[in-house]
Amino acid sequence: MSRRSRFAALAVVLVVLALPLVWTLVASFGVTPDNNARPPSWIGPPTLEHFAYVGVAEPTFWQELATSTALALTATLLTVAVSLPAAYCLARSRLPRDRLVAQSFLVLASLPVMAYVIPLSDLMRRVHLLDTLWGVMLAQAAVTSPLAVFVLHGAVRQLSPEWEEAAVIDGAGLLGILGRVVLPLLAPTVAATAIVVFVLDWNMLLVPLVLTGGEVKTVPVAMSDFFTFERELDWPTAAAALVVSLAPVALLVAAFHRLLEQFRLTDGTGINIG
Amino acid sequence: MRLSRRDRLLLLAPLATLMLVWFAGPALLGLLATLTSYSPFTTDVRFVGLANYAAVLRDPQFATAARNVGLLTLFAVPLELTAGFAIAWLLRRPLRGRAAWRVLLLLPWLVSPIASGVMWHFLLSTTSGIADFFLGWLGAAQASSPAGDLHLALPAVVAIEVWRVAPFVAFLLLPGLESIPRERWDEATLAGASVFGRIFRVAVPGMRGLLLTVSMLLIGLALGTFDTILILTGGGPGTATLTPALYSYDAAFSTNDWPAGAAAAWVVAAAVFVVGAVYVRVARE
Repeated sequence: MSRRSRFAALAVVLVVLALPLVWTLVASFGVTPDNNARPPSWIGPPTLEHFAYVGVAEPTFWQELATSTALALTATLLTVAVSLPAAYCLARSRLPRDRLVAQSFLVLASLPVMAYVIPLSDLMRRVHLLDTLWGVMLAQAAVTSPLAVFVLHGAVRQLSPEWEEAAVIDGAGLLGILGRVVLPLLAPTVAATAIVVFVLDWNMLLVPLVLTGGEVKTVPVAMSDFFTFERELDWPTAAAALVVSLAPVALLVAAFHRLLEQFRLTDGTGINIG
Repeated sequence: MRLSRRDRLLLLAPLATLMLVWFAGPALLGLLATLTSYSPFTTDVRFVGLANYAAVLRDPQFATAARNVGLLTLFAVPLELTAGFAIAWLLRRPLRGRAAWRVLLLLPWLVSPIASGVMWHFLLSTTSGIADFFLGWLGAAQASSPAGDLHLALPAVVAIEVWRVAPFVAFLLLPGLESIPRERWDEATLAGASVFGRIFRVAVPGMRGLLLTVSMLLIGLALGTFDTILILTGGGPGTATLTPALYSYDAAFSTNDWPAGAAAAWVVAAAVFVVGAVYVRVARE
């Protein structure tokens, strides 16, 4: 492919990817198209008032933003904390069907939450965890754990066991090996996995939607509420809410994009690809 | 190092507890419940065998939902894979501003499915939409939103999902493409292979495992499609974009037919497990 045609193709990709986002960003500042004019034109001087109006249209929006942040952070930490030891164990146990075990986690990671969220909400109601931060946090951690186990398992498999063996000779225990040998060596992959899991948690709708009922409310649930109850939201305000809810994860990814390259999917063996 | 039995137990226990109580346990209890007349607020629980499943599978609404999600998966997944691969292919060789490209690839995926539904609701509309703005310049008549059109709603959902997911697929495929040894490209070039020859004889075999892994995740994602549709069309117009997940949610939480909802959800799960079995089989070869 020539330089020029590659450049042209990339320009098309850029426009398709970015135009919807730019359109939304511009609208959040109150600049919207007037499609009734001929030729179509743009309305409005840029203003910040729509960001303030988000808090009027949805009075608890800023509270919901805090809830989402706290939930996503704690759920991510829990996911990584339970997945890393398990992935390490599976990768170092020399199981006869090691690959099948890893692949099973991938299948579980592909399972839509809808498959089990209905009985889960019934169960949570019975143990009085419905509409609590704990209930949602633990459920979200369970949703993202299979993917984390799959990715971290692949990463441990690529790690030479020599380091651990050396640590054993030095008298390190299980915790010492995990905390002072495996974790530092895998730090970039663990961090990248944590970022991906954080984004999944931040964006998760179905789990909090079904497991909460007014007390605990996350940003995605608030957004779905607004539209399911047919309250009409004008476009600039909706756009402002979208921009605010996208900004934290966008900043996170922009800051750590180099690290994110360490998020590698494997074929279950952890060798030979990516 | 050798892990003792006790070590293994200690390492696996936290994950096992979490998964058992918040994932596998409810899923299996739900499976048992669907074989009975159980529902959260009834006391009369009888064994009904597969009656709940028979009722769901006989429901024409569910048949429509299954057809819709089948079409959605059939179109969205190959499009996401091809578009993702094509973008990764374009970014494969050194390029100025590559770091910025990587961030850009991740941006649509960062928009949650629900936010994507809200966004496209407005972007497809006549008053504030993109298409009408440009059509207006051409002096064309205003097109109404495809999300409200009986025949265009499902393709619109496919397009939106492809927009959101394909760049992320490119992000996932890029390292796989880069890890293919240089010699293999050189051999293909010396043998006079065309672009397609290099794609199908070098790239695809070289990243087969990764492609299968990504496909598995994409198929699961497509079969469970819920959030975007909930906001964008609510399953409509009529039942044009109804999916089994949406059917299941409505049955359990809106129309109070808990057994139907739980059973329909298990039909989706079964479909994913069938795909999973095929994945394991194909990946072994």
